Amino acid sequence: MSGWMGKIVAIDLGSRERRTVAVSEETRRRFLGGRGLGVRLYNDPCPDPIDPFDPDNALIFMTGPLTGTTMTSGRYQVVSRSPLTGTICDSSSGGTFGAALKGAGVDGLIVRGRAERPVYLAVQDGEVEVRDAAALWGLDTQKTQKAVQAEISSKASVACIGPAGENRVLFAAVMNDKDRAAGRGGMGAVMGGKNLKAVAASGNRAVAIADPAGYKDLTARLDRIVDKNPVTGKSLQVLGTSVLVNIINAHGMFPTENFRRGVFNDAEGTSGEKIAETLLERQSACYKCPIGCGRTTRTRTKRGEGPEYETAWAFGANLGISDLTAIAEANYACNELGLDTITMGGTLGCAMELRETGAWKENFRWGEAGRLLDWVTDTAYRRGVGADLALGSKRLAVKHGRPELAMQVKGMEIPAYDPRGAQGMALSYATSNRGGCHMRAYMIAPEILGHPVFLDRFSTAGKAELVALFQDVSAVVDSAVLCRFLQFAVGISTFAEILRTVTGLDWSEEELMRVGRRIYTLERLFNIRAGFGRADDALPPRFLNEELQTGSSRRRRVGLEPMLDDYYAVRGWDRNGVPRPQTLAELGL
Amino acid sequence: MDGIIKVQFFGLLRRRVRTAAVDVAGEDVSVLTLLGRAEKAAGGRFLDELLDREKELLAGTIILVNGENIRLKQGLETRVRAGDTVALFSPAGGG
Repeated sequence: MSGWMGKIVAIDLGSRERRTVAVSEETRRRFLGGRGLGVRLYNDPCPDPIDPFDPDNALIFMTGPLTGTTMTSGRYQVVSRSPLTGTICDSSSGGTFGAALKGAGVDGLIVRGRAERPVYLAVQDGEVEVRDAAALWGLDTQKTQKAVQAEISSKASVACIGPAGENRVLFAAVMNDKDRAAGRGGMGAVMGGKNLKAVAASGNRAVAIADPAGYKDLTARLDRIVDKNPVTGKSLQVLGTSVLVNIINAHGMFPTENFRRGVFNDAEGTSGEKIAETLLERQSACYKCPIGCGRTTRTRTKRGEGPEYETAWAFGANLGISDLTAIAEANYACNELGLDTITMGGTLGCAMELRETGAWKENFRWGEAGRLLDWVTDTAYRRGVGADLALGSKRLAVKHGRPELAMQVKGMEIPAYDPRGAQGMALSYATSNRGGCHMRAYMIAPEILGHPVFLDRFSTAGKAELVALFQDVSAVVDSAVLCRFLQFAVGISTFAEILRTVTGLDWSEEELMRVGRRIYTLERLFNIRAGFGRADDALPPRFLNEELQTGSSRRRRVGLEPMLDDYYAVRGWDRNGVPRPQTLAELGL
Repeated sequence: MDGIIKVQFFGLLRRRVRTAAVDVAGEDVSVLTLLGRAEKAAGGRFLDELLDREKELLAGTIILVNGENIRLKQGLETRVRAGDTVALFSPAGGG
């Protein structure tokens, strides 16, 4: 079976029972792999939503047909119900783990049940072995990966949790290949709830390619396109993602002090340009990636990965902190402890505003870089103030009586773009089916960066169509699985071509877009069953009622409701955001 | 005596010109004229990072006049006046 190893293993950690799950060609056509197939398998048999920490809540590690083939194909997706949001969630990570899983002869793992004692899974030669992890429990992600490699193979790729996941911090990440993170939505907490410390994969099995000659031509062409593109061939390589700091700040939508302002006066000091001049040791790259947007950095006393744009913001402008060393070291700590940096920073921003308003008497002050490491560490261990921070901003703000001070959608913290500065991005946040994230439809590309076309960021006209389109394309790329940064260089037709040469199956562009739409709608259906509806496709009141006072996004608010009506109409959903029967019939759902 | 227009360089452009900003003399000029003067003031060529051979803006290039994108104004013919700040970004991406 070209593109696939032909084996998905379902394992129950409680009973140790395991079986191979057959997936028909039809299902692969309809859901591809990665995110789409993971969500499809999560919903089979269509369950009533259960508590994310219920042992029966499935945790799925899924690769795609392109995983382990061409450039940027080391990625994998983790799918489960999120303990942070209660929505269906998939979290994506780079590195090499996805390719290693296929090299070990397995396309995906469906993990259910709860081990009595800590365990880890070793995947080799198409077999999944449950191994004792008592000695690993309590170790950080770096030590865990080294210890597992010492037991299995120095070449094994290891995805694991740190103390945050063990302690079920609601935004614990799964970390692999040192510092790559399936960060968002608390997939690490679900893993910890299962007493699953790590999954290790090693092996050299090759992915069969259906049309080797066509594949060779195509990938050679892709190499040239990515190399020539100024973003993938130059900017991301030299300056990393933090090149965005100055760009977004200049547009007056760089969220500062919990989104109270859109201009951070010290942005320059936390920018990609500054990182390149100071902390940067070298660029780092995922499996077969010619871009290499990763940043291996060092401070005077520590060495690690990052900060990427989101983290430079989350621990920087968002908290009024301009000390780049403190930001980088908080980033390293999150990587070691296994925490999502965006939610960590968003929750700290909320804590600081709660303190300022007198709603929480703890000593959180804007700009206080010196205590950042303590707060992060206490969160991972749920001790002191960390017990509250470990809940994320929504629960924290509710607990202290000021729910409107949490900058979140569906319980997930909004990242580094103030939605008042880009109406399409605002709609994207509100309708994202895993909550406040930028990855479902990255409207910053057309609204700020001019990719693939340039749009007026303050206009709401036509944004609904584009958000839906971007959501569908993103679902395809997350299911193939490839890196989303390739979208700066190529579009859906190229993805269809790569899929064809690898799998031998043909998708027209239109069919592939329908695959994306099907995946998005299936996710929506789960969320509806879990109790989400129009009222949850919302933004914090700050963005609807308060105007920014300075910068080039001043005097703007989000005009959400009309865009939401348009969006539901474009999607074929009713006024409450429920897919109409005809829409489901068209998608075969 | 002309007034001063501040021209800022970001991203790869800054690495090319090796300065974060230059002051350019001008009272009321088009962005295109200003860019030519900025090259002289910076002491190095950089326009090829922003414009194609027909002197059209390259895809992904961002030029802001006081925070407003010139693509939403009159493009390279947008007028810039003394006291304004013009920010130049070569194509970039991230997420």
